Amino acid sequence: MKTLLINTLLIISLFAGAPALAQENSLRVGMSGQYFPFTFVEQDKLKGFEVDVMNALGKEMGRDIQYETANFSGLFGMLQSGRIDTVANQITITDERKKAYVFSDPYVYDGAQVVTKKGNTEVQSVEDLKGKTVAVNLGSNFEALLTELPYADQITIKTYESNLERDTALGRVDAFVMDRVSASQIIKDKPLPLELAGPTFSQITNAYPFHDTEAGRSLRDEVNKALAALRDNGTLTTISQKWFGTDITKP
Amino acid sequence: MDVLNVEYMLGLVPVLLRYLPLTLQLAGIGMVLALILACLFAVVRVLRIPVLNQFTIVFISFFRGTPLLVQLFLFYYGLPQLFSALTVIDGITATVMGLTMHFSAYMAESIRAAIVGVDRSQTEAALSIGMTNGQLMRRIVLPQATRVALPTLMNYFIDMIKATSLAFTLGVTELMGATQKEAAGSFLYFEAFIVAALMYWIVVELLSKLQNYLETRLNKAYNR
Repeated sequence: MKTLLINTLLIISLFAGAPALAQENSLRVGMSGQYFPFTFVEQDKLKGFEVDVMNALGKEMGRDIQYETANFSGLFGMLQSGRIDTVANQITITDERKKAYVFSDPYVYDGAQVVTKKGNTEVQSVEDLKGKTVAVNLGSNFEALLTELPYADQITIKTYESNLERDTALGRVDAFVMDRVSASQIIKDKPLPLELAGPTFSQITNAYPFHDTEAGRSLRDEVNKALAALRDNGTLTTISQKWFGTDITKP
Repeated sequence: MDVLNVEYMLGLVPVLLRYLPLTLQLAGIGMVLALILACLFAVVRVLRIPVLNQFTIVFISFFRGTPLLVQLFLFYYGLPQLFSALTVIDGITATVMGLTMHFSAYMAESIRAAIVGVDRSQTEAALSIGMTNGQLMRRIVLPQATRVALPTLMNYFIDMIKATSLAFTLGVTELMGATQKEAAGSFLYFEAFIVAALMYWIVVELLSKLQNYLETRLNKAYNR
């Protein structure tokens, strides 16, 4: 009876210890798998700029990268509840997020871009969004950027889990707002009748958020060190060139 | 109109098939647990066992009265915020927990209705020939109740299979999650989702066949 009890306790403690053990040599990274060309899936294989950068970081740090994919709206919940260590999904540094998390150094510099259906003459820039319906990804920073515009009350914002590019091409919304690089890439690579409307309207810097705890901060420091090394040896530039034909990792 | 990319669809079939077992496991385990829970609730409600009866009423009211997605978020993201040890609940466990509790609430009521629906004369006849309460339940009431409950329970099982498509919001890549990610990579939404839809449909159609078979067997005594 006693041994049974001890065994049970041992087994329970084994399970309880499992997540902590996983944390020691591997980095648990959350991403949506639905943000071309940063993170997406082709024939069951997770690919994209984020995956390449993360793998390079893992190699540099000597850690295994354990990818967890979930809908974007679930990613911060997973981070908050300690199921992942960070999110690699073009997370823009904002004051709001800085209150809850500590950020690594930025690894992508980009701008917010208005995209419309091809041939849309009404919307040529961000000012033309007055009175229009605009799509953004749910929980993304682009929604906040739109609500900060002086004429924000005249814009109808529609939030999407995914597929907003398709809905814009179908004409269900007048435009969508996304980062410039992935918008250009979608227009170039995918069979959707879309075009960029005007220049970018806000600078954004993207980085990895970590828990604001001792463990989180030390992970961040480790990632920062590895990021600097990849920046110096040109790996970041190479990966960016591969996906975008331009270097988005420098300001 | 764009031409349907059939080649892409065919290529997707083997990829998505890899995620079908997980979908079926989520629903299968959820169904077995929900059935057990629902039977317990139904018995508690029929016999009006004090305290448990009140608890069951509140439980059913809550899990029938709130959306499944809200319950999944509560289990997966909400509970660990209050008790950090509950982070050990992974996405699969949270999904099964949510499916079990949500559907047991519905199923308890249809099982209860089936038990109550067995004609009183059956009970009286059984008691008059000296059956005990246990024999009465086992031999007379439950076999008749099962026949009545089966179609609605199968309905819930079918519904549960489709409800597993919410699991990707908790990071569980099942059939729907895999499809969403593939579609995001190719931008071929129609092709990707029609393949997934056909897979769900075929599974449900096979289950309907099973239901027909079971119903025929249970109805044997009533056919002449």
